[in-house]
Amino acid sequence: MNLRLDTIRECLEGVIPGHIATCDAEGMPNLAYLSQVQFIDNDHVALSYQFFNRTRQNVLAGSSVRLMLTSHLTGAQYRLTLNYLRTETAGPLFEQMKAKLAGIASHTGMSGVFRLLGSDVYRILGIEQLPGLTVAAPPPAVNYLTALRRATGRLAGCGGLARLLETALDCLGAEFAIDHVMFLMLDESRGRLYTLASRGYPQSGIGSEIPLGAGVIGICARERVPVRIGFMTSEYAYGRSIRDGVEADGHGDSLETAIPLPGLAEARSQMAVPITAYDRLLGVLYVENVADLHFGYDDEDALVAFAAQLGLAMHHHQQAEEQVEDTPTSEELAAAVGGPPMRVRHFVANDSVFLDDDYLIKGVAGAILWTLLTDFVERRRTSFTNKGLRVDPRIRLPGVSDNLEARLVLLQRRLEERTAGIHLTRTGRGRFSLAVDRPLQLISG
Amino acid sequence: MLDRDNAAFIQTGVSISLAACGPDRLPSMSRGLGCRLEDGGRQVSVFLRRSQSLELIGNILCNGRVANVFSLPSSNRTLQLKGTDARITPFVPDDLSVIERHVADFIVEVLPLGMCEAVVRAILAYRPDDLVTVTYSPSAVFSQTPGPKAGERLG
Repeated sequence: MNLRLDTIRECLEGVIPGHIATCDAEGMPNLAYLSQVQFIDNDHVALSYQFFNRTRQNVLAGSSVRLMLTSHLTGAQYRLTLNYLRTETAGPLFEQMKAKLAGIASHTGMSGVFRLLGSDVYRILGIEQLPGLTVAAPPPAVNYLTALRRATGRLAGCGGLARLLETALDCLGAEFAIDHVMFLMLDESRGRLYTLASRGYPQSGIGSEIPLGAGVIGICARERVPVRIGFMTSEYAYGRSIRDGVEADGHGDSLETAIPLPGLAEARSQMAVPITAYDRLLGVLYVENVADLHFGYDDEDALVAFAAQLGLAMHHHQQAEEQVEDTPTSEELAAAVGGPPMRVRHFVANDSVFLDDDYLIKGVAGAILWTLLTDFVERRRTSFTNKGLRVDPRIRLPGVSDNLEARLVLLQRRLEERTAGIHLTRTGRGRFSLAVDRPLQLISG
Repeated sequence: MLDRDNAAFIQTGVSISLAACGPDRLPSMSRGLGCRLEDGGRQVSVFLRRSQSLELIGNILCNGRVANVFSLPSSNRTLQLKGTDARITPFVPDDLSVIERHVADFIVEVLPLGMCEAVVRAILAYRPDDLVTVTYSPSAVFSQTPGPKAGERLG
């Protein structure tokens, strides 16, 4: 075929509905509208199967399939010839289409009517453009190749995980013109993601959590596939309603709910992209916008390519931070500080830590803080290493794969945001120091 | 076959498409540019651009079977008519007013949905000497509005 589908993917967004023509065994044609066409690759598309209608009967009876697609940007019309291969009823493709369909249904007043029963996968036998008038497409808002080139160059120059995340989010704003971003890290052992950085929200939401499988972010993580929705839908909201649902299911007892998730109340376009390295999921990059159909296939491709670079860089930094030996260098003992003591209370059941009765953090980051502060108070210790924490039995890290460095970044950010008077400072690769502004009074339980 | 309500509906600012099948059961399809009813709705004529519809016209000439869908973008109300006696006739210049009204109605329909007028006009652009008319007697009418009654035969 001469025309490549990846050059006309705007036709698949559903702004102008596609048409599908089939033929029954008696040679009678049938014509229907399509809710959704999903790009798989240049040789394959998937169509949403929602109703067992005449189209589906004809397809299953071996009808050839023709699609008519129209570009809402140029007015160009295309005719595709397809051959049905199979139907998928679960998995990444199905979940991608289900999420997108929820947005389309909501937008077209069809919530509760449109329900994805399957993703019908077709081979593309041919694409032809129909003769006819077209208009010039508007220039794209961003040149993604330039954005990617500049952003990956900036990632390469980062010296640590904290700097890497800051730079990544800065790049999404400056190079990709994406103003609302969250970066969430996978907590594999607890089946959830925690926010480690964000941009474009009044509250950073650092430390807030979302369960695997919940909303756009959770499904992206569970299926390890980009999920993109072009219209507002409550079905895939990631905010409080989802967490309320989780708690109602009885699984919410240990979910971080004290820290609210950031997010736009009126997000119409949402996209979540998995961050992986060497077949392991590390986290999720989430972007959103108040406009309909703000993110398209090109945005998705650009973010996936960027996330691939980010994932490799994160993996590298995690490895590097833990290769430093846990031998104390010229240990500097804590200097005495004055003023009223700050009460630090630790609850061992969930490792939650309160500073002067204000909640700070729980879980692994809570256990790390409590360990650091205990050593600080009992031994006046101020220097620590990632490698030492990794083997410290008091912290009970979930596993070798857990990103300890990310936990430290989370802790550092939470302390900074609360202006708690407790400071964690990087002093070298795999090393950091602890300082306090006031005396500490540690209370257990 | 076509009640008064549906007859009026297919002459509003609906999106119109027509499909047929070849002897090998390969379907063909094109956009229509408006329709005209005759004989109290027993005959439906749809206007096509020949340059975009060569295969469709060939299939209609071959077997006369057509599927014709009308859908109103703002409401998703959708109707499919089928016919087995479709024929191709030369375009009559008097029907230009039908097409002009249809294009105007369609633009009024889709602009509030966020469509760009220049794009819509490009999609529906035509040269009068490129037009042909397809006329058939509807032999079956189906509701295709998404929902529980989708696919229900109305006549």
